[in-house]
Amino acid sequence: MKRQFAILAGILILVTALWAAGPKNNEGSASTVIVSNTHDSAEMRLEGEKRFRANCGRCHAAPHKFQPRMMATIVRHMRVRATITDEDMHLVLYYMTQ
Amino acid sequence: MQRIPQSEVGRASHLALHFLGCVVFVVSIFPVAPAQTTDNERPVPILTGNAGYFTTYDNGTNELVPEAIPVLLVPLGDKWLVEARAEFYGGFDSSKGQPYTGEVHKDLDYLQADYIANRYLTVTAGRFLTPFGIYNERLYPIWIRDLNQVPLIFPIESGSSDGVMARGGFPVSSWASLNYATYFSTLTTNATLDAGRVFGTRTGIFFNRPRIEIGSSWRKELMDERHNAYGLHFAWQPPPIPLNLRAEYARSEYGSGYWIEGAYRLSQVSVLNQVMRRTEFVGRMQQYFSGAEKLADEGGKYSLPHGDTQQPDFGLNYYLKDGLKASASYARWLGKHNWNTWTYGIAWRFAMPLGRAGGQ
Repeated sequence: MKRQFAILAGILILVTALWAAGPKNNEGSASTVIVSNTHDSAEMRLEGEKRFRANCGRCHAAPHKFQPRMMATIVRHMRVRATITDEDMHLVLYYMTQ
Repeated sequence: MQRIPQSEVGRASHLALHFLGCVVFVVSIFPVAPAQTTDNERPVPILTGNAGYFTTYDNGTNELVPEAIPVLLVPLGDKWLVEARAEFYGGFDSSKGQPYTGEVHKDLDYLQADYIANRYLTVTAGRFLTPFGIYNERLYPIWIRDLNQVPLIFPIESGSSDGVMARGGFPVSSWASLNYATYFSTLTTNATLDAGRVFGTRTGIFFNRPRIEIGSSWRKELMDERHNAYGLHFAWQPPPIPLNLRAEYARSEYGSGYWIEGAYRLSQVSVLNQVMRRTEFVGRMQQYFSGAEKLADEGGKYSLPHGDTQQPDFGLNYYLKDGLKASASYARWLGKHNWNTWTYGIAWRFAMPLGRAGGQ
């Protein structure tokens, strides 16, 4: 019984933390914000490359670019596997498909 | 593996249901970001993975290890991903000029459904790689690992779990992001889906500018002796130089140990740059301290040393082209007996779309 309470308490703490860290308004995804605020696509590519090197380069050498629909799957897989952030995922996808 | 009383199994099922209920609750209360994909960006199913062939000369025994590790990725809609990885490997050895003998093994590493609930949470159900440390989840594939031999402490953190997991990563400030994974696994005694009843969590924080990640793991067995296992991990890629530093520490009832590894790519060497930028030197030091209990050697691919051991490793990787790597390494096992281990081989990463992949 104690263990159940401990697990439930842990999950509730997690929920609370996520709720507190959640978006404060009905904004779209991070990439939407970035796309709308960053008119210079070169700048976005640069930022995407930076995120790519920081996130993907932590584990493996930089692969060549894949076709866009393949890249979308790979980035989704890596988002789960490497727990990269939503913003990083969108920027890396942008960089890898340009 | 010890028999579990029926009452314990029932209690575990209750726990799993509670956990699953909470996960569903978590998923339902968070807003879902709108879809942003066009047809040309819509994810396509992929068959990827890696294959390799390695030869190891270890304490008088020559071992040939062909491996094929296919990974299937099937995205469904904007929020779902079904992924699976199987492992087929042979172990054929010969000592003192005798003929090679051995067999081919197969494992199902993971078969999971991921639901990306929102920016902060992904829910996974099925069989998944146990998130303990970083090696098992991130560095294990043969085209990724810098040294073909896995660390001595790898059996502490390796393996798969059957159950549910909540995980994600999100920025906590402009200079750092947090990642987490927490899971519950139920007991499965089926040979293909073998898993223990455990609860565990892993958290890490990544500092963007210095490119440093530090994190910790904890796993609690909910069966047998209800042991705990702890782990720490560290990774650093100093931005100005092509150096990759990683380290892990793990402690369980079987023992404890650490490894520290550095991999340096010679891309900044101007002489023979075409060759040098494809070349990587690797060094690793590791120690293992045997614990009170011995991990039963069940004939699996990896097992812990039977006594206190230390092992320096040195390796050389040459990246022939994207996804194709030739490697050679030397290790000196320093335990109750000492010996040398030489390994050389080749690893290949492949990826192919199972449908129209879109143009560049």
